[in-house]
Amino acid sequence: MIRFDGAAKRHPDGTIAVEGLDLDIPAGRTTVLVGPSGCGKTTILRMVNRMVEPTAGRVLLDGTDVAELPAAKLRRGIGYVIQQAGLFPHRRVIDNIATVPYLLGWDRKKARARAAELLELVGLAPELAKRYPFQLSGGQQQRVGVARALAADPPVLLMDEPFSAVDPVVRAGLQDELLRLQSELNKTVLFVTHDIEEAVRLGDQVVVLREHGHIAQLSDPHTLLTEPADDGVAAFLGRDRGLRGLGLLPARDIAVRPLTDGTRQGGWELRLDAGGRPTGWVEPGLHAQPRPAPAFHPGVDTLRTALDAAILSPAGAAVALDKDGRATGIATREAILAALTGPQPAASKPDSPKPDDPKAGSPNPDSPEGQDERPVNSHGR
Amino acid sequence: MNWINWLNTFFTAPARQSGPDSIAHRVGEHLVLSGQGLLYAAVLAIPLGLLIGYTGRGAVAVTALTGVARALPTLGLVTLAVLIAGVGDTAILLPLVALAAPPLLVATVEGIRGTDPELRDAALGTGLTHRQVLFQVCLPLALPALLAGLRTAAVQVIATATVAAYVGLGGLGRYVIDGLATRDFAATLGGALLVVLLAVATQLLFAVLIRYALPRGVRAQRAAAVETGRSS
Repeated sequence: MIRFDGAAKRHPDGTIAVEGLDLDIPAGRTTVLVGPSGCGKTTILRMVNRMVEPTAGRVLLDGTDVAELPAAKLRRGIGYVIQQAGLFPHRRVIDNIATVPYLLGWDRKKARARAAELLELVGLAPELAKRYPFQLSGGQQQRVGVARALAADPPVLLMDEPFSAVDPVVRAGLQDELLRLQSELNKTVLFVTHDIEEAVRLGDQVVVLREHGHIAQLSDPHTLLTEPADDGVAAFLGRDRGLRGLGLLPARDIAVRPLTDGTRQGGWELRLDAGGRPTGWVEPGLHAQPRPAPAFHPGVDTLRTALDAAILSPAGAAVALDKDGRATGIATREAILAALTGPQPAASKPDSPKPDDPKAGSPNPDSPEGQDERPVNSHGR
Repeated sequence: MNWINWLNTFFTAPARQSGPDSIAHRVGEHLVLSGQGLLYAAVLAIPLGLLIGYTGRGAVAVTALTGVARALPTLGLVTLAVLIAGVGDTAILLPLVALAAPPLLVATVEGIRGTDPELRDAALGTGLTHRQVLFQVCLPLALPALLAGLRTAAVQVIATATVAAYVGLGGLGRYVIDGLATRDFAATLGGALLVVLLAVATQLLFAVLIRYALPRGVRAQRAAAVETGRSS
């Protein structure tokens, strides 16, 4: 666990970056620091690995004041990922990843074997090992940066706006990758971003900061979206908070009507292929082309994805699919909205959001821009 | 008598073939003098440049000082050195070092300062010590700039080592100075030509060195930058 105990940073010229911060970062979870530029979020992050020394107060790592440890030794035990990856241009990918193992004195063979494992872990092809950083795309470089940070298996990972220099599609992919990695590794992650979407997507706990590192709100992402502490936080969260909050609730709570109870819905009939996969909605008696049948995966997707599918469906209902893409049932808009008033595991997050999850902010062919403007604000204040 | 005949006379004279005034011997003297000057300059300027470049402290002073150093008249320095140290190697090495050190210092400082601050930050944050950041990250990346500085310094030193003859020392300057003194213009021209050839050869040597002494990643990146027309 990381504990900030009255930590402050005043620059030599007298300007205050952070004053009197008290904050606990729980072990094994992802904590996101989010706020406008100049709020001190990066300074706070850099206090942990002593890239910034507090001018007052302490930062404790598992109960030990970080100032008591030699800086280089401390840092070798803390993964560090920055915006532009910061890879060494004169070293091959494999040796970039093996940086900390080399520093720790591992022999070359062992270090490289470990680096090769990590290359795979972050989803990169083995043949990239021999490349130099400039031969990789921005997204690939960022993955190598993450692999380098994880090489010596540090319990703590500091990520300073690691994904903000890549385009939105690549960013969504990197965020998914981080969620997947974190579900396997359970590191204590401290993540800094100015992007509130990224914060609610990645964080188990989100810390919204004002100037001088003052905490405006500290909560889980869903509570943050639905119950902002004040108008300032609400303004920072932006529009459609309620709708975006749906993206944090699992679709598994929706009461899906099984297909065995019929394939008709509001004058439309769901057509299936031989394998049980939906092919479209048709109006019985009319020989028109079937209309598309938007669908969702109850165990994987969020309420937002399900509702989006129901809104786009001509029958006003989304098709629920199993993991093989076979239709299992039909969820009406009413059933989906009813799930909102049901049991709400506020802190729970979907197990593994899909890359085309709408709250990633990535272009989604199923969700035209105008869709978000619909008055479905059942939740906001 | 035209200049081709002069050169012919110069290069075919028996004294040029063997003995203390032979071309091989004079070239050897010239190279030893230049090499020493360059070596001392490098030993002085490169570590200082690494320190200044990495810390960023004194970089302004370096710029100002090198401007002054360039304005120093070499011949004046030689004379001064002779007055202080008497005739000897020191008398010529002092001005040569004074000539070679500033460009080397500037190249080293600029090379190190030119490394991406984000990269240094990442290196430090990953757990490298300052010394490791300097020698494992900044130095390899500054090598192109450093070698370019070394080349400039080497060529200047080779051209200037000619003045060694002015204070009675050897080297190719002997032909030039002695030729002028005895109105043997063939020797003056031949000596001057040899100095030029030596300087050009040094340029070529460094071109090869810069090509093959660079870390592979840096070389590959530069090659890619040239291909795509980006500046590296």
